[in-house]
Amino acid sequence: MTLFSLAKRNIIGNFKNYMLYFLSMIFSVVIYHTFVSLRYSSEIEKNIESFQSMRSVFLQASIILIAFVAVFIWYSNAFFTKKRKKEVGMYSLLGLRKKTIGKMMFYENLLMGAGAVIAGVLLGTLLSKMFTMLLLRLLGTDVDVGFTLSLEAIGNTIFVFTCIILITSIQGYRLIYNFNLIELFQADKEGEAVPEVSMIGVIIGTILLVFGYWIAFQPVDSTGQILRNLLLIMGSIVTGTYLLFRTAIVYLLKKAKEHKSSYYNGINIIGTSHLLYRIKGNARMLTMIALLSALTLSAITIGISQYYNFTTHAKQLEPFSYTHISKGDIEEEKIKEIIYEDKNHPVQAEMTVPLLKVHSDPSDTDLPEYLEQLMAEFPEEDFINLISAKTFNQVSAALDRNEKVTLSGNEAAMIKPRYTHDSFSDYEGRTITLKLPEDGKQVRFTHLLEGRVLSWRYPDAYIVLSDELYSEMENQIQPVAYKTYQVEDQKNTELTSNQLNQLGFNELQLSTFYKVYKRGLESAGQNIFTLGFLGLVFLAATGCMIYFKQLTEAHSDKGRYEILRKIGVRKKEVLTTISKQSLFIFLLPLIVGISHNLMIVKVLLGINLIGGDISFPILSSIGFYIAIYLGYYIMTVNTYYKIVNL
Amino acid sequence: MKMVVEVKSVKKVYGAKGNVFTALDGIDLSVMEGEFIGIMGPSGAGKSTLLNVIATIDQPTSGDIFIDGTSILTMNEDQLASFRRDKLGFLFQDYNLLDTLSVKENIVLPLALAKVNVKEVEKRVDDIADTFGIRPILEKYPYQISGGQKQRTAASRAIITNPRLLLADEPTGALDSKSATDLLESLKELNEHRQATVFMVTHDAFAASYCKRVLFIKDGKIFTELVKGTSPRKEFFNKVLDVLSVLGGGTSDTV
Repeated sequence: MTLFSLAKRNIIGNFKNYMLYFLSMIFSVVIYHTFVSLRYSSEIEKNIESFQSMRSVFLQASIILIAFVAVFIWYSNAFFTKKRKKEVGMYSLLGLRKKTIGKMMFYENLLMGAGAVIAGVLLGTLLSKMFTMLLLRLLGTDVDVGFTLSLEAIGNTIFVFTCIILITSIQGYRLIYNFNLIELFQADKEGEAVPEVSMIGVIIGTILLVFGYWIAFQPVDSTGQILRNLLLIMGSIVTGTYLLFRTAIVYLLKKAKEHKSSYYNGINIIGTSHLLYRIKGNARMLTMIALLSALTLSAITIGISQYYNFTTHAKQLEPFSYTHISKGDIEEEKIKEIIYEDKNHPVQAEMTVPLLKVHSDPSDTDLPEYLEQLMAEFPEEDFINLISAKTFNQVSAALDRNEKVTLSGNEAAMIKPRYTHDSFSDYEGRTITLKLPEDGKQVRFTHLLEGRVLSWRYPDAYIVLSDELYSEMENQIQPVAYKTYQVEDQKNTELTSNQLNQLGFNELQLSTFYKVYKRGLESAGQNIFTLGFLGLVFLAATGCMIYFKQLTEAHSDKGRYEILRKIGVRKKEVLTTISKQSLFIFLLPLIVGISHNLMIVKVLLGINLIGGDISFPILSSIGFYIAIYLGYYIMTVNTYYKIVNL
Repeated sequence: MKMVVEVKSVKKVYGAKGNVFTALDGIDLSVMEGEFIGIMGPSGAGKSTLLNVIATIDQPTSGDIFIDGTSILTMNEDQLASFRRDKLGFLFQDYNLLDTLSVKENIVLPLALAKVNVKEVEKRVDDIADTFGIRPILEKYPYQISGGQKQRTAASRAIITNPRLLLADEPTGALDSKSATDLLESLKELNEHRQATVFMVTHDAFAASYCKRVLFIKDGKIFTELVKGTSPRKEFFNKVLDVLSVLGGGTSDTV
């Protein structure tokens, strides 16, 4: 019998033991291969306008995936070899040479790796079709996806996993060299001492966490501040969380232990002491998982919030279905013709929006902060757009908005600039002197309006003036006119939009809602897909790590539960204590992760990375998280119970 | 005197057809309240099987077992667990202490499971700590104490619930002679002063000489029985050795 066939027999004979490791390898291959297939998918290439940018996003994501998959396989390999230490020790005791044992472990891992890659690639190819459809659907293109086999993707997957599996195989080979025989035999019996509580740790940890959260709720103004705050938050939260798990949890468990009447009550004594006994080894893993899931949740929240809010964004960026500069020439008639020809999208409103472009007086001292910054940035340009109250109200009516404004004399209203958090108090009572060829007109801000009128451009400064003041100024400068159309069902105006875009205008001259909408849809769809995909993988993997960890514990707890059964503990009680202990282990990172996530989202809102209505994104990402953990929890309790009750 | 255990023609057969091994072949015995009974026999005679069957950890193939008048074969899994908790105490060769619990917690465990109130728990621990001389190690963990101390801890745990029957499976098997003597003296005292009923499986004639009665098993059947009566322990020890030499496979001291 050759060594190779011995390794083969080992795998087949012990399949149950190898199952978990094998499955987690398959899982990794499937995830990776699915993703890589998308990267090389010709279907996606055909259907997506911004495929090049998407490909680079996919490339970055797949690098993250490689790192992640490597750690994950390494982790499950460690879990797996730990269980086999005794077996390896036995071979050595029976007189097998170290080199032979090492080779056997090497072959075993290699064989399993090869099996996992084959199974994973097959499954991944199937899944990638599903994911391609999902992605295309998210991007708003509904096409039937055929079944394709990408050789490039398969090659890529095989290469990556050959590297990873070779490394873990070498690690398996070295196992026998890295430990003394005695250590191999006592792998299960390693006595962990009950950790000491350091009050200083508890206090510092609490202070750091409170500090981190406090900073998150402070308002920020400048980029420097944002950067400084982010660093402070990161540092204090990471250390704080570790200290929390390392000391505060120990402290609480010890307190629970001192409370004799509940501690000496039934199975509590076992649950509490078990948790306490294990917490030292678990602290680092729980910290890592809590932080990782907080980050992941935030990423998913960003993805969902963008996808959820991009229609609103598109409407703010491009209020009308079609907008173009009006010069009264033949081209204009052509545009009109094209728009009216589209019978599927009848025109609901057509209007002309005149506006005046002016500059403010540099000597102004009472400017609102936002305008002051623009002044400094564009000292030469006429960046201020003036429209009359009448026009504003007409636009409001055309777009079915409720906002109306009435102004008289030198009263003025600012239209709230996008990407700012300005409130009325930033403008109230402030004045600006509008520079005209003949004289300057000083106006006073009395309103802040929400409704946007024309396509968004930077600098973004629209001021609404009273009708009489506007017409007075109109006499001094030539207004610029924009022609705007609002049509029914503007989200599906692809054909007309494309026709218009082929007329040869640049985006400053002619812009369509559809183009902005489609661009937003693609980037949001891409984000939600990559962030969602990676996020789910990460969450699934962190859950899996806890699962593995709990199973390792189950194996070493087997003897303990056997004793308990002998001295008369009921099966039901065993189940209760296992459920409680596992709940504790799963709930801790879950709660901390969610809490940190909410804090991070708060920070992101503060720096405008996400905006709009975020309750749905937050609830749905947390919902995913809880659902995944719930699944793992049930699995853990079941398997744990089975292991200790054999 | 009341009967604590009654074993009626118990058989235990292992394996499936073609490859059958009879571990217990129609055993009858009864244990009275306050007895200190020893079971001896060569390896494979069925000693431990008998103990496991009485301990409700294993089920006999046929026959019946009564403890305190109730048949333990008709009970379901949960009833058995409660039964073990309330009526039986266990002492094993490998101590079976939980390394996650301190000595005190290990001892308290059965009481905690039975939800005895804290005051009563503390009182009983206090009571038992001196009997087995474990007061100084109450707060230590199993990995910090010696084998003898572990076995005395296990004994304390076994009797803290005042069980009807204390089952001991080779309790001195892993102990040096000094620790073994200490433990046996404690068991003897328990038996004499607290009227605890002890059922001990052993292959050590020295340990058996502490019993009031010793049953010898061979090939799954009761071979003979020795009663100590009023004879001194030394003399009883020699009698045990004599029987063992007849029984064979027991000890090599007689050569």
